[in-house]
Amino acid sequence: MLSHIRAALTRIGEVFRSRAHAAREQEEEFRFHVEMETGENIRRGMSRPEARRAALIRFGGQQRFHEETQEARGVVLVDNLARDLRFALRRIRRAPGFAAGVIATLGVGIGVAVGIGTIVYGVLLRDLPYPKSDQLVRVGFHTDGIPGQGELHSPPTFYHLAMSGSSFIELGSYSDDDNAFSITDGDAPEHVSIARVTPNVLTLLGVRPLLGQLFEPRDTLQSSGGGSRAVLISEALWRRRYGADPAIIGRRVAINHGDRIIIGVLPRTFDFPSASTSVWYPQSTPLFGRPSIIGRYISVIGRLRDGIDISTAEARLNALVPSLAARFPSITPEILKQSAARVSVASLKSVTVAPVRPELVLLGILVAVVLLIATTNVVNLFLLRTERASQEIAIALSLGAPRVAIARRFVVEGIVLGLASSIIALPAAALAVSTKFGFSEREIPRLHEVTFTGGTVALLIACAAVIGAGVGLVALTRTAGTGLFDRIRASHATPSRAWRRAQNGLVALQVAIALALLVAAGLLGKSFWNLRNVDLGFDPANTMAAHVSLPWGYGTYEQTTAFHETVMDRLAALPGVTDVAVVMHPPLTPGNEGQVDADDDGRPSVTTMSNTASPNYFRVMRIPLLEGRSFQPGDERGIPGVVVSERLAMSVFGTIHAVGRTLREPSREGSRERLFAVVGVVGDVHGGRIEDGYTPMMYLPLLRGGGPLPEEGAGDEPRDVQYVIRGRPLPAASTLQRIVREVDPRVPATDIRTLGSIVDDATVRVRLTMLLIGVAAAAALLLGVIGVYSVVSYAAAGRVREFGIRLALGAAPRRVGGLVLVDALRLVAVGSAAGLVMALSATRFLRSLLYEVTPTSLTEFALATAVLVMATLSAAVLPARRAARTDPAQMLRED
Amino acid sequence: MAKPASNEQVLQGTLDLLILKTLSLAPMHGWGLTQRIEQLSRDALQVGQGSIYPALVRLEQRGWIDTEWRVTENSRRAKYYRLTAAGRRAFGNEIASWQRFVSAVKLVLAAEG
Repeated sequence: MLSHIRAALTRIGEVFRSRAHAAREQEEEFRFHVEMETGENIRRGMSRPEARRAALIRFGGQQRFHEETQEARGVVLVDNLARDLRFALRRIRRAPGFAAGVIATLGVGIGVAVGIGTIVYGVLLRDLPYPKSDQLVRVGFHTDGIPGQGELHSPPTFYHLAMSGSSFIELGSYSDDDNAFSITDGDAPEHVSIARVTPNVLTLLGVRPLLGQLFEPRDTLQSSGGGSRAVLISEALWRRRYGADPAIIGRRVAINHGDRIIIGVLPRTFDFPSASTSVWYPQSTPLFGRPSIIGRYISVIGRLRDGIDISTAEARLNALVPSLAARFPSITPEILKQSAARVSVASLKSVTVAPVRPELVLLGILVAVVLLIATTNVVNLFLLRTERASQEIAIALSLGAPRVAIARRFVVEGIVLGLASSIIALPAAALAVSTKFGFSEREIPRLHEVTFTGGTVALLIACAAVIGAGVGLVALTRTAGTGLFDRIRASHATPSRAWRRAQNGLVALQVAIALALLVAAGLLGKSFWNLRNVDLGFDPANTMAAHVSLPWGYGTYEQTTAFHETVMDRLAALPGVTDVAVVMHPPLTPGNEGQVDADDDGRPSVTTMSNTASPNYFRVMRIPLLEGRSFQPGDERGIPGVVVSERLAMSVFGTIHAVGRTLREPSREGSRERLFAVVGVVGDVHGGRIEDGYTPMMYLPLLRGGGPLPEEGAGDEPRDVQYVIRGRPLPAASTLQRIVREVDPRVPATDIRTLGSIVDDATVRVRLTMLLIGVAAAAALLLGVIGVYSVVSYAAAGRVREFGIRLALGAAPRRVGGLVLVDALRLVAVGSAAGLVMALSATRFLRSLLYEVTPTSLTEFALATAVLVMATLSAAVLPARRAARTDPAQMLRED
Repeated sequence: MAKPASNEQVLQGTLDLLILKTLSLAPMHGWGLTQRIEQLSRDALQVGQGSIYPALVRLEQRGWIDTEWRVTENSRRAKYYRLTAAGRRAFGNEIASWQRFVSAVKLVLAAEG
């Protein structure tokens, strides 16, 4: 009979295709059909040509209607889309649980992915907000032979390179390390962050002032009066302090009691050198500085000429380095060679985001993983559902419904669910972008540039629709290969092999991802635990710190110490306060780097941090005094007495018994040699990140008698200090500010925080990454467990007959349950193996975040694997028990 | 249209069944048949409209249906189809085989639930 029908079909097919065989009658019948359909379409509201085209297309894909089909496609799509939408909505209504699961999973997945993706893109990938920003570069001067100098230039050497180089349209220099500035006029003194820039820094970045004008070259000329008084201020400062006064230009402002004139306001979008910069000074012309290989303090940026790439510019500048020796008598070829002087050129964008790139790349990978897991689970849900709907599809196919129409229905259903998920995804993404996961500008540069825009919304919705459509298509491919007969025959057997393989693969992948994330979370958790349990060397409990910077009116040590002593006395008199000290760099904040050696032997110098503290600082911070004593009056005279940390004593003298020895700061390029007498040895503290370990530290006394303060930048100025206070309760920040203001109304107390929060800040990177990966790992584990459960119980349901027969033949129920467990075990084993491989290759990227734990730590790997195996196998217990309890009699009855 | 797979070819029989059922209610022209089937299935069964004609020819060749040119209510000439006596008997058989099919599907669904 089959061949019969096929023969008939073939004959009719020929009739269809060949006009020669087409009966006149049939043509007329077709025409009638199309005209009726056309009339129907006109009643539905289409224009006549549209209606006719639509009718022709619905009739079928015959060759001669082809051209008109192309034209009419739009119209027909709308018509069909409405029909498909109705159909999809009906299906979704029929399975609200399925729909809710898909919408929630996709919503959270896409929301978090787009949210984090927006941040990662905005910081790492988006162009800097300057015109032709790909031409902008940072030029560094490196002396790898002398540590601790970074990539800064000295003004004359920079100027020499800038005048000789031909790769740049402009080269400008700036420095932004001045943080001891306050606006001192008006009612409330205010701490401001200033930057000194050469005028061409502003022009090469392409900024236009919001009001007024930019610097002119003459603003950089130094005169006996101390140079130009012109300053630019930020839009934020202009609005906050001056109420957006339109007549601000020409206004005089006292900054550190220097008289300055505001010549322009820079727009909010301009954030160079940093987003917190609120006042720009003109940087004095580099000609007058001291040419130097050490003691460099300016940064350099430039704009490349068209057609010059970074490596060319770098090579040309490096070729100029030897000429420095010819130009400046104080720089000899030996010094250049010894210090391994070289120049680097790097894109400004990469330099700006370099510190956070590893974390953000990790975050990006995490996002992809979360999205992958979410999508995987949705595909699984769809597959399960498609399996149930496949009879319906087979019928539709057999009735001659075009495959395209069925495909469209799946895709439309996927799209509808995807779009619905954006109801959850949009607020989730908006939340992610607006909170930025608690990160701040301080931790991630460019973060303020990241905003939630219409583009983000469009991207999210497009993303949701595409993922929905993709999921629908995947579900469809499942149905494409098999016909209904297979399914009828399969009614008593297991589901088709290809489908089970696909689903098992997906679940194994989930298990693998979950394991990799668990390992990462474990490693970070261990790091965090290690960091929190490090001996900090001081006691952060019940202590606080406040930043006070004295204006330039305090010109002598006498004046500054008088101020500090008055404030310390008044603070100490507050109820609860037990002790107050002054220090330049509290623990966990980097100090000034310098070189010292023992005066009496020939061993090379070591790098140390230097700090300045009042005598009771060690008592307030509970830094143990190991030997000798703290400072006392008289230590500041002659050869100053210093207190050294254990580590410094060990590295210079080879012993902690260093009291009475002399430390020497060797002379460098004109600076005088200095000697210090060691009066005490104290315990070690961390001078920067905890991860970097203890820092050698030399403390100078903050109790100098008369004499002027040293020049700016020469170090040891007690104008800019931190008060550290121990007490219970600690005074309120406002009390502290009031006392400082009462002693001198021009002086602000800023940055008031507990030392506990400084410790928290020092571990923030590890903590946040741990949190993010922990959440992802928990989600992945949960989804993996659900995946294993659904696959195993589904497979077990398919084998119910087999179990019944086994039990009827006398198999022990435990053994039957074991069969199900073996299924699960296979899945978990494959997933775990893949997960371990994944973890081994991925945790390397965590290295910079790990503290005293290796990326391949056996304990963490074993622990994570154990957790994963237990959790996922427990998901199989329920189906296994169900299988063991199969009732053979009932099974056979059902048959 | 895609070439039908062999399993589905047998299932072309269900289209035949739907045609036979619809014609058992009243004689009808081709377009009317497509409208009626779509309407009865609430759009769930989308029939490519042109594909009904091969089925009709097939049924006619088996002698299950008859054709006749008539004038419609709107005074148009159209080819009408109606069931023959053989067609009515065949319809009975088709219904029986359909019931078998449905119970097979039910078994599939029961096994899954």
